Amino acid sequence: MSERQPFKLFIKPKLESSSLVIAWNQDAGRIGPKVTDYLNKELASRELAEIDPEGFFSLSGVSVEDNIAQFPESKFYWCRGKSLVIFKSDIPRYEWYEFLSLVLDIAEKYCKVKEIYTVGGMVSPGAHTTPRLLLSVANSTEMKRMLRQYDLISDMDYETQDGQRPTFSSFLLWAAKRRNIAGASLWVPVPFYLFAVEDPGACKKVTEFFDRRFELNINFADMNDEITRQDRKIAQIRSQLPELDGYINKLENNLGLTVDESEKLVKEMEEWLRGGH
Amino acid sequence: MARWLVGLKLFRPCAILIEYKDQSRKSEVVMGLRLYKEPRLDNPVLIACWPGIGNIGIIAVDSLRRMVGAEDLGEIESWDFFYPRRVLIRDGELKELEFPSNKFYFKRTEKMDLLFFIGEEQPTDGTKVYAEGTKAYRMANLVLDVALKFGCRKVYTSGAAVAPIHHTARSRVWVVPNREDLIDEVKSYENTVLMSDIEGRDGQGNITGLNGLLLGVAKKRGLEAICVMGEIPIYIHGFPIPYPKGSKAVLEVLSTALGIEVQMDEINALVQQSEREIESVYERLPSEIREQLDKLKYVAYARPSEPEPITEEDKKRILQEIDRLFKKEPGRD
Repeated sequence: MSERQPFKLFIKPKLESSSLVIAWNQDAGRIGPKVTDYLNKELASRELAEIDPEGFFSLSGVSVEDNIAQFPESKFYWCRGKSLVIFKSDIPRYEWYEFLSLVLDIAEKYCKVKEIYTVGGMVSPGAHTTPRLLLSVANSTEMKRMLRQYDLISDMDYETQDGQRPTFSSFLLWAAKRRNIAGASLWVPVPFYLFAVEDPGACKKVTEFFDRRFELNINFADMNDEITRQDRKIAQIRSQLPELDGYINKLENNLGLTVDESEKLVKEMEEWLRGGH
Repeated sequence: MARWLVGLKLFRPCAILIEYKDQSRKSEVVMGLRLYKEPRLDNPVLIACWPGIGNIGIIAVDSLRRMVGAEDLGEIESWDFFYPRRVLIRDGELKELEFPSNKFYFKRTEKMDLLFFIGEEQPTDGTKVYAEGTKAYRMANLVLDVALKFGCRKVYTSGAAVAPIHHTARSRVWVVPNREDLIDEVKSYENTVLMSDIEGRDGQGNITGLNGLLLGVAKKRGLEAICVMGEIPIYIHGFPIPYPKGSKAVLEVLSTALGIEVQMDEINALVQQSEREIESVYERLPSEIREQLDKLKYVAYARPSEPEPITEEDKKRILQEIDRLFKKEPGRD
């Protein structure tokens, strides 16, 4: 009978209380991983712990994305000098509840986590030039009340539709609630034509929330540069391709696109922004 | 993955919580059996079922449960087995996360006491539809924990038998016991066939998923168990539609086995509705395919429990036809 430790602990930070930010690698517009990477870079975070993939992920081979072999990763980071911990992970394929229990065990035992935030992108039919919003779903009335002081949309009604399943973040929020850990999932709308690429504007919206909530004094220079670069590139696309400009104009004026128009916009944007032109 | 029972404690009136510790992972995993009441039952029979092909078993068992008016008894807490199926968010707050249910019911009848277990989904370790692996084994054991707690000695499970039959034919019921001394009992039920009655099987076969696994786990734990499987036509089983005709056949066998008179009106109505729907699709099939499928009306691939004379020549010819038909059809299972 093997006795396998399901995680590795690299450091034991002395934390009396902390907050945990969670991002899943499988996310619309890669908002979660981009935001946590930025926080880790700006706050010079250190690796704190890692969950072993065995039992949670398919290890029958590796997937290849953008020419690079991938491997499931589930890592905790500690933002030095701050009461903030970050967990960035792939969504497990098996044993979901056991995985979430392990995440919460590590968070409570080694980080004294009292508050959890998940980050995610959601597909939006709007244009990238419309003001960015941030939506929140809390797992308790107290948490919802606390979030009122921030610029969030926190009155969402939603129910899973037939043929769909709840997000893994909802599962996590529910599991945290069972342990009386306050939690909220943050959702930032990502224009559908940036869904498969990246959306630094959406990332900034989320990062600004964390900056304010945890008084992090984040330097946004790099993120602003990225937004400027993308805005310029999209402006260039619009000037070179009047057809696409027309589509985005329609969206900016709250008009819908046909399926063909939407598909063309997505395809062209992806090719241009990925450097195909 | 090794797990062992580490505790049994009351956590609310009339409720038990059975805790398991996962030795290999070190982190404690708690799985609960929650009983709302603890009725005194006299050697109850357990009738357990999970969804499967054509929902044959689950329709039959759930119909029986409703007909006898079984009361809620308890549930297996589902989160360790399943991904949630529905979230409810109201005014920006997560109000509810719903998992597939796994419920127990009970009923005291004049002839015998009954326990029911109905699972809404089969737990899997991956992306398959039917249960397999550690989770399935754990769930089977949890169901039997409850059965044994109430003094149960006998278990019935139910599922589907994919057979070369026509949808206008009466479904028969394949019966598989987990002990040899139950053979005479299952043979005594009308409209049943044993694996050994089926041409070419020589008494061998396989029952996929928890409806089969429970039979084996019951055997391991010293419980008698019988799986009753209603037939579904081979050309229908791949579609995600129920086949109440198979359920009705199962219900008839369970009714006899348990000595319970059941009203068939409700299931008859389901059968008629399903026949109309199947018939309307059938009529739209190309005539040559329909002609081939019509031949299934005359197939006798299995010996009934009370054998009728079928000439070897007829049987050979029919089987050759069936073989040729399904070899011709592309995309069949």
